[in-house]
Amino acid sequence: MKCKEAKKLIVLDHYGELEESERDRLRAHLKQCGTCAEDASLTAKVLAVIDVYEPAAKPSTDWEKAWDRVQAGIAGAPSPERARPAVGRRWAFAGAAAALVLAAGIFIGRYVITPGPQPSGIRADAATSPPPNGIRPAFAAHLEELKPIVLDYAHYAPGDRSGRDILVDEDVLRGLVLQNILLKRKIAEKDPAAADLLDDLDVVLREIVNRGAKDPEAPAQIKDLIEQRGVLFKMEIMKKI
Amino acid sequence: MDEQACIRLAQEGDRGAFREIFDGHRQKVFSLAYRYLRNQADAEDVLQETFIKAYHALALYQPEKGLNFSAWLNKICVNASIDALRKNRGKDFQKFEHEEVANMPDPARSSDPEVSTRNKEIREHVDLALDKLPPKQKIVFTLRHYQDLSIREIAESLDATEGSVKKHLFRAVEALKKRLRRFVTEDGYEV
Repeated sequence: MKCKEAKKLIVLDHYGELEESERDRLRAHLKQCGTCAEDASLTAKVLAVIDVYEPAAKPSTDWEKAWDRVQAGIAGAPSPERARPAVGRRWAFAGAAAALVLAAGIFIGRYVITPGPQPSGIRADAATSPPPNGIRPAFAAHLEELKPIVLDYAHYAPGDRSGRDILVDEDVLRGLVLQNILLKRKIAEKDPAAADLLDDLDVVLREIVNRGAKDPEAPAQIKDLIEQRGVLFKMEIMKKI
Repeated sequence: MDEQACIRLAQEGDRGAFREIFDGHRQKVFSLAYRYLRNQADAEDVLQETFIKAYHALALYQPEKGLNFSAWLNKICVNASIDALRKNRGKDFQKFEHEEVANMPDPARSSDPEVSTRNKEIREHVDLALDKLPPKQKIVFTLRHYQDLSIREIAESLDATEGSVKKHLFRAVEALKKRLRRFVTEDGYEV
């Protein structure tokens, strides 16, 4: 095999697109050719760097809002099979406006009352007894969601297990960081103590996301961070207020 | 309900069935648009446009012709994304500017300031390297690297030959290697 051909096959091999026979030929070539072996290694590393530095592993949006926009776009349109005369523009605008109002309602409702999945008890409390401050139940639910993660790190004992044993789904963590940011914005002026705790949680969460799964030293350092900032203590206090 | 049944019902105008189709494919469609356009607002527009176009064109979709639904939807999304990119030409390149996304944790934020600066630099170069790929290379790379579509599926989605897809993928990876190699060869770095 010539190096020119090998270079092309290296990329296809990285993506698992080679037939077995081609792969065997490529591997045999890489054993003999240092330049191509280096190229294969460089290819793998560059593609890995792109993975690591690409933000938003799983990009997301407000799906309900997106569906509302789609609904507004097809509102009044003939069904795919039937060909009817197009409905007047006014109705399309009215549909779009209604969908926008609905989407805004859904968004505001979620923003204030339910920032993501919550333990059922907390949501029931929020629904039955109007809180003094509308954001408070969401804040309490947020702390409940974070508690197991913070406890996991706070109780981490070096030597008992490796740093990679504390595993939290990265998407869940990113969701929690975002939730933390939104709550902090909403709560900052009205409740400085809660905002202060959310600041601490922000630092801890970001540290977990950025280092937790990769760095074996991270759990011990995250544990220290939690202790230094008194995060667990503050969480307990905030629960009682 | 299986997908074919959903498609049949949606072809008859059943919005509930179309909603199921939307739920089943929205993440893939949005990811593709987002990776390609590298902008939240534009990706949201393309998501909307893709499903609206798909709804109107559902009657034309014929599974018996061999193109699976996902590839058919991809094709609509790819065209909408390319149109969006064309419209945006001349505008300043907007990196993931969405406020919440900008605040998300990433490797660029580390407690060590030196590491943080270094990571930020790499992140900017990765963004730039991906953005500078010519449109065809960029779409092929996006579909293969992020969407995990096979060469054959990409060829179907783009109405191209497998040979042409391989060529664009190879060129895209070579361009990325050229632009990013210093980040993996200096200091033995990094991943």
